[in-house]
Amino acid sequence: MKRTTAWAAVAVLAVAVAGCGSGSDPGSGESGKTTITFWDNNGGTRTPIYQELIKRFEAANPTIHVEYVGIPIASVQQKYDTAIAGGDTPDVGGVTTSYLANLVGQQALEPADDWFGKSAVNGKLAAPMLDSVRDTVPDGKLYLVPGTSNLDVVWYLKDKLPEAPKTWDEFFTDAHELTKAPDQYGYTIRGGAGSIFQVLAEMYAYSGVTEFFDASGKSTVNDPKNVEYLTKLAALYKKDTPEADVTNDFPKMVAAFGTGKIAMMHHNLGSYNDHVKAHGADKIGAFALPVGASGKRTIVANPVDGFAVFKGSEHKDAAWKFVEFLVSKESNSYWNQETGQIPANTEAQGDSWLTGLPHLKTAVDALNDPNTSVVSPPYYLPQFSSITKADTEPLFQKVLLGQMKPQEFLDTMAQKLTDAQAEWKKVHGG
Amino acid sequence: MSTDVVIRPGRAHVAGDRPHRRPRPKRDRGRVLRLYVPLGLYLVFTLVPFYWMLVFAVRPSGSTTPVPWPITFEHFETVWNDIGYAVFFRNSVIVGVWSLLATTVLAVMGGYALSRFRFRGRTLFMVVLLCTQFIPGAMLLIPLFTIFKTLGLINNLGSLIVADTVFNLPLSVILMSGFIAAVPFTVEEAAMVDGCTRLRAFLAVVLPQLRPGLIAVGSFAFIHTWNNFLFALMFVSRQDSFTIPVGLSYTIGEYSADFGALAAGGVVAAVPVVCVFAVVQRYLVHGISAGAVKG
Repeated sequence: MKRTTAWAAVAVLAVAVAGCGSGSDPGSGESGKTTITFWDNNGGTRTPIYQELIKRFEAANPTIHVEYVGIPIASVQQKYDTAIAGGDTPDVGGVTTSYLANLVGQQALEPADDWFGKSAVNGKLAAPMLDSVRDTVPDGKLYLVPGTSNLDVVWYLKDKLPEAPKTWDEFFTDAHELTKAPDQYGYTIRGGAGSIFQVLAEMYAYSGVTEFFDASGKSTVNDPKNVEYLTKLAALYKKDTPEADVTNDFPKMVAAFGTGKIAMMHHNLGSYNDHVKAHGADKIGAFALPVGASGKRTIVANPVDGFAVFKGSEHKDAAWKFVEFLVSKESNSYWNQETGQIPANTEAQGDSWLTGLPHLKTAVDALNDPNTSVVSPPYYLPQFSSITKADTEPLFQKVLLGQMKPQEFLDTMAQKLTDAQAEWKKVHGG
Repeated sequence: MSTDVVIRPGRAHVAGDRPHRRPRPKRDRGRVLRLYVPLGLYLVFTLVPFYWMLVFAVRPSGSTTPVPWPITFEHFETVWNDIGYAVFFRNSVIVGVWSLLATTVLAVMGGYALSRFRFRGRTLFMVVLLCTQFIPGAMLLIPLFTIFKTLGLINNLGSLIVADTVFNLPLSVILMSGFIAAVPFTVEEAAMVDGCTRLRAFLAVVLPQLRPGLIAVGSFAFIHTWNNFLFALMFVSRQDSFTIPVGLSYTIGEYSADFGALAAGGVVAAVPVVCVFAVVQRYLVHGISAGAVKG
């Protein structure tokens, strides 16, 4: 017995010693090649897509080797912050407008305006996405080249809801009528992490308010119509939605929708593949958030996801070449087809795969509708993330539980946003 | 509350006697109610999440049945081949084993010094060791990152081994000093009188008696290292050098979550820890109580 244990210990050690050597190889690329590092800001499900694109890029650019690193989405900001502080940033990184201002504030990114001006992709990327990127940073430069955008939609099960509601009144009626005891619910509310962005999207779609701040810099979050919507939404809780919704984050919400007990769920285009896995493509449908009493569609802009060249890169031209490749028509089309999102490249937006997917067509139609107004959340505010997460998510739960009035909740959030906006204006002018 | 062993007087069985069934004493029912029912309930409470993890890991995507049937191993294939658990698992074993060894050896050395020698600042040193337990790892990320970068340890499993060992050491040293103090110094002295050096006396006389302590400290070090996500992500930026906890977090994306893969990854991550506990639990309980009482 003792001898066996000893041999087992020796074997484990041998494996350990052998493996440690291979795991600690230096990160240099293949000889004679320029090696650039690319950090994917949502590593995991997207890894095979990037591996395929890198293979294509390396075939077209034999002198450049791309080293892929997938960063889990939940820790990507912390990873970037640590890398910036330690001076060990990648050459190219996946970045979204939700934390772009933070990275630019740390002077970690290289503006891409000059490269972009001379590039073949200039004029081929969606102007609203480019504007959204430029609006996020104080100097208005292009620190992030957009690759994709998303849109909030309501997913529904076709066998429960044959026809999508067109107005908010129809939506609330459907949510009520599709609820059947003991465990069938018309709707599910995101009450946990990430709740506020969805509530904002719904409120502005309902109210038709088109700006986040009025001319005096006061937040419009507590507009009376927004309060009216939130009151109606809170009334759905526990009546036409599961009680557990108060702690619903998106994985729980998507999982609950996957059980078939929820008829409608507000999320975005990104969860399409999960719904197809759970129900099959022919059984799910999506509609853009209904139009409010104003009759005009209002959409709260989702963060734009794209690619940035880091200032610390020693191979900036090679890094830009890779970014340019990723947003080219073929690559951008492939990437978005695989993830089920909206391409930033306008040439790719006309591809047949996109028009063949009803949910994406719905999204593109809603975005391209001349009657649509896009409300841009103030991603540029350093406090925006904390205001819409740590500060107000617990308060929204109180609203659902009936411990706080919708008016009081929205007044609190509006005050915080107004203060943050005033502070920002003081520093940056305007 | 010593109710576990009850020795009843009675006739001893003789070879050839037919064993006859005696009516079960009434107090057995009380014992069932007092002992087994609460234990059973506790077990159900504890194991239900594990059951769900297993169900999600082996049932097909889209299935909502509460029993894992039909069984599929597609999620295990996904995590092992597509997500890269084959590499992550190997890295976790390497980091875990080396950290275990380094922590145990250094803890024995430090613990010996603390328990056998009286020196100025000894108490203060113990207090400082204890205080380090209140410092969260996230606070030291950037200083450690800078140090490892200077040493060329970034993107190297060595950084994880060093960092995890450093964080495991304070508690391990304190625990080990308790175990060593429990071994009377006179035994060691006797060996030295017989001609042993201090090292020889320690190896021959004290070390064999530290087995429960070594197992307790080693298993804590291994499990802590195995589960450490923060260092594994922050000090490594190479896809082939990540460990299991990073791989596990890949299954929840920005807009989608693969629960089957998440559960299968959880099973793969939990199996070694459960095995370690299953093997060492009897030493562990004894070891912890010995270290705590006699320290």
